[in-house]
Formats: sequence, structure tokens, C-alpha cells
Amino acid sequence: MTSLEPGQLWVMRIHAVSLGVVAMIPAFALGPFLNEEFGVPAVLPALVMALLLVWPVIVGPSRRFAAWGYDEAADALEVAHGVWTQVATVVPYGRVQHIDVSQGALERAFGVARLVLHTAGTAHGEVVLPGLTRERAEAMRERIRAHIRQEPE
Amino acid sequence: MIDASVADRRLHPGTAAIRFVKALPQAVVLLPFVAMRASGAGWWALVPIMIAAAALLGFFVGLRWWRFRYGVGAGGIVIEHGLIGRTRRSIPFDRVQDVDIERGPLHRLFGLAKVRIETGAGGKDEGVLDSVDLAEADRLRTAVRAGQAALRGDGVAGVAAAFDPPAPADAAPMGGTIFAMDTPRVLLFGLFNFSLVYLAGIYAVLNFFDDVLPFGWRDAKLYVGEARHRVEEGAVTSALILSIVLLAAGLGIVAGVAQTLAREHGFRLTAERAGFRRERGLFTRTEIVIPRRRVQLGLVETGPLRRVFGWFALSFQTLSAGQKGEGGRQPVAPFAREDEVAAIVADARPLRLPLPDSLRPVSRKHVLRALAPRIFFPLLGVTIGGFFLPQLWFGYGLVAALAVFTALERLRHRFALDGDMLFVQRGWWRQRLWVVPVASAQTVSLSRSVLQRMLGLATVAVDTAGASLLSAPDVEDLRVGEAVTLRDALKARMSCYA
Repeated sequence: MTSLEPGQLWVMRIHAVSLGVVAMIPAFALGPFLNEEFGVPAVLPALVMALLLVWPVIVGPSRRFAAWGYDEAADALEVAHGVWTQVATVVPYGRVQHIDVSQGALERAFGVARLVLHTAGTAHGEVVLPGLTRERAEAMRERIRAHIRQEPE
Repeated sequence: MIDASVADRRLHPGTAAIRFVKALPQAVVLLPFVAMRASGAGWWALVPIMIAAAALLGFFVGLRWWRFRYGVGAGGIVIEHGLIGRTRRSIPFDRVQDVDIERGPLHRLFGLAKVRIETGAGGKDEGVLDSVDLAEADRLRTAVRAGQAALRGDGVAGVAAAFDPPAPADAAPMGGTIFAMDTPRVLLFGLFNFSLVYLAGIYAVLNFFDDVLPFGWRDAKLYVGEARHRVEEGAVTSALILSIVLLAAGLGIVAGVAQTLAREHGFRLTAERAGFRRERGLFTRTEIVIPRRRVQLGLVETGPLRRVFGWFALSFQTLSAGQKGEGGRQPVAPFAREDEVAAIVADARPLRLPLPDSLRPVSRKHVLRALAPRIFFPLLGVTIGGFFLPQLWFGYGLVAALAVFTALERLRHRFALDGDMLFVQRGWWRQRLWVVPVASAQTVSLSRSVLQRMLGLATVAVDTAGASLLSAPDVEDLRVGEAVTLRDALKARMSCYA
């Protein structure tokens, strides 16, 4: 299994931190209110929220990053992810309908891109592989596209 | 490209008549009545208002019919509509999944049919022609099929040719009727379809007469008070309760039979070269064609009672999105004997049924794995709640019943990968057997939850086109080694059978 580019770890961390900040806002807002009504210390809700956020913001991203991996075989791409429930999905190139390479602003800043393989499947018809360099994602897209052309239908 | 000038046909004029008749009660009776009462004019105003409303309605219905045009071009179907702003929709042949024909009571009176061109884009009605005459519906279907064949390069005569000949070869039955249900069988099928739909009916009626009723029927206190009053009077006897239960059950059975009869009356499945043609319905008759190439997998279902009497249901999963998010699942034999199911499956190559006793069970820990999360929280809830409210201890009985049901439901989970076919069997109350050609599998994944890792288990899931999210042919809780073997075998075969 090939692991993702280190840039993706930073993308995940920043993403988690920004979600954490959003979660802290109501906790801070709730503090004075609870202080007035029940006499609890005003920092208590923020403290509780901060404790709850330790795992998803500080530990989570690196664990999740480590769980991601992919394996580019001759006829199929295997993508693995998931910390609690570990999922490894195999997508034979012949089943790919179309391919996207996408890059958000944050991803661009850290020099990573996402490869999205669309199949005709309904339950997980979109297989996403984040954290590739742009060049690698495009090279993979070209290789897979060559397979699609060989096998019509 | 689709030619710009092909939208040269109009719907059948009878369409306008049907729309007119359908809108009549509201437009010509209800609205003028309201208008008369609101304006304070006397009864004498009613007739002129009604005539004006009818004329206006007729004008707009006619205009709408006049402005709706469609046609079949070289690349697809074109539909143009809109009174002021024109909307032009092109549906390329290669996007068409199914052409369905539906005939309601009014349609049948006028010899018409509603044609629905399904593209598999989220179940929306993308191309509905409401309505054309029957011959035109058949011609449309033939034209779509010929257009698709031409795109594939099958060398079939062009679209224009397909549109002209009266009896195209494609529509000629090949195997004839391969499955049909007569009325006794439909009625018997209805007995298995207990339905509570009549409750919705009662609710609707009460809702409609809400203002007229002398009491607030939504007021729960009223019922509780009334019930307590009756109990104190001694009017509630066990005979009364029994008869109420029997009445409810009887109504449920009658409603189930009626519903089934309306849906399945005159069920007929015919095999043609291109696919299976299914007709059914008492009031509204529907006719669909399931192209053979679009059949993704087969699903055989039965229940504990139906199994005892030897009845099974067979459905095919197709690419189209289907209705109500159930995936593109089409029943092809809703109530059939085992040999009838086998005959249809044999006709739907590459599908085939598994050899007897060829399916292997998954790990024995599967029941435990499925049971643990479903039992843990109810058990916790009952235990904690019981300390505060001792009556809740009875909840243990319910939890035990849930445990038994879950265990039964999970006990018979079996699978087999045999050549180009994956078989997955599951359930007791809903016994299901999936027949999945490896060629239909889009992706294969192996997943392990925390609990599964603790027990050394893994789930192998195969994704197919048009799959329902609720019931997929997943092989749950195999031992890890077995799961990896199955995944690798599926992976290898998916490359062979494209």
C-alpha cells in the first residue's frame, strides 16, 4: 500500500481545526448564559467542548491519514481508508465510467489533488482517493483512461 | 446531434379530452361555487360562471395540447413544450433505460397509453408522453430500440425504417408468455399481503370532514376519557376486544387483497429477443420492457409462511433508478412456484440458480456480531429505566423477542462464488437469495468494523448498478482469511468477465 503525500496530513489537520473552531463558538457563547442561570463557571462549557475535541482535532487527523492507502495494480486500483471501520475497495479499471481530478483551495496550497473514480455502482459509485500530487493524479487518470478506451461497454 | 426539426408529432387529441374531464370537477363545480359565495352574487350567477370556467379550461387544455410536440430523430427523442416559454428537451437513445407504458381507466376508455421514457437520472419523469394511442406507443418503443441498436452498430435498419413497418421483427414474441398469474392466484397472493392502508383511508376521510364533525377527532384526551368511562361501566368485555382485533385483521386482509388485485391483476411476462415484457394492473395497466442487457442481478424472495406453501418472488435489478428509491428493481414473478422461478431465470442468461446445498455458511460468530449492537442499547435502556420505573422490567421480554428474531434472521446467511456467479442468501422473515453475475459487479470492498476486528471477521460487499441501499448482496462476517480469498477471487474474475 502506498501512503498519501504528507501535504494531505496538513490539509486534514487544518480541516479538523477549522471544524473544531466552529464547534467552540457556541460553547463560548453558552458560557455566560449558564453562569447567569445556574452559577457554573463561564469557562466550563468551553472546557468540556475542548476536551471532547481533543480526539477528533489532535489525534484523529494523523490516525485517519495513516489509514489511507492505495495500490495501483495492472488492472485495478485498490483504495483503503477508515480508522474505526476499515474499508478497502477494489475498482477494476474496466468498470470506471469517468474520472475527475479535483483540487480545492486548501489542497492546492499544500500541493495535493484528489482522484475520483466514478463507476456505474449505486451504493459507493464514487471512489475517492485524496492526497496525491497533481502530477501523479493526472498520470493515474491517463493510465486508467487508456484502459477505459480499450474496453468499451 | 439530434436534428432540430424532428419534433413534428402531437399527442393524441384524446389527451386534451382526458385532461379536460379530469380537471372538470375542480374547475367547473368547486371554483365557481367558491367564487359565487365569495362575491356575494346570487345563485343565478352560478351557471354563467360555470360556463365561463369550462370555456377557459377548455381553451388552456387545448392550448397546452397544441404547444406540446415531440418527435424521434436520428440520435434520440425530442420533446418541446411550454405555453409562452418553450422548453426543448433532447433525450439521446443511449441514455434511455426503459420505455414504460401505463394505461389508466380513462386511457383505456379512449384507447390511449402514457409513455414514460426513463433515463435513470434520479427517478424523475424525464420524458413523459401523456398520452398517445397504442400503436404510436409501440412505434416509439420500437424506434428507441432500433436507435439504440444502430448506435451499437448492430447493423439493424435505421430509425426511419423502424418507424414505418407495421410489424417490426423485434416486437415479435420469441418465447411467448413465460409467466402469468390468473385471478385465483392473484387473490391467494393478496392473502399474504396484509395491509394497513385502510388506516390511511380512515384518516383521510376524517381529515376531509374535519369541520363537519361534531367533536375534535384529533383530541387524544377525548378517547382516553371515553375509554375509561366505558371500562368503568363494564362495557369492555373480552368478546368486544376480540371482535375489534378480528375486525382490524379482517380489514387488513381485505385491504391487502384489494391492493394486490389492483396492482397484479392479469400479470403476464413475455420473453422477447430484446428482453422481458411485463403487463399488469386492474384499473391502471402498466407495460414495461426490461432489456436483457440491462438486467444486473436476480433476487429470489420468500417468507416463512410463503415458503411452507412453496411460493417465491423473483425480481430483476435493472440500471434504471426505479421509483421510491428502491433501486431499479422490477418484479418479474411476484408469486410463483419454484419451477416457474427456475424457468424464468433459465431464460435470463447469464443468470442461473445455485446448485442445491452449494452455499456455504459465513462464520458462526455472525449471529453474535449482528446481535451485540442491536441488543446492547435496548438492554441498557431497560435496565436503567427499570430502577426508576419497575414496570419497565417487562421490557426484558421485548428485548428477548428482538434477540430471537435477530438471531433467526441471521442464522441462514450463506454464500457461494461459483464461476461467473456470486450467490448470497440471507434472512428468515425476509428470505432473500441474490444471484449476482460477476460481470455486474462494479466494485468490491472488504470492510472491518471494530467489533469485527475483535472477533476476527470481515464483510465483503459488491456494488452493482441500480442497487438498493437497504438490501445489497453483502457477504457479512466471514472469517478474515476467507473474506480475503473471496475478495481476491472476485477481483480476479471481475477482470475476466467484463
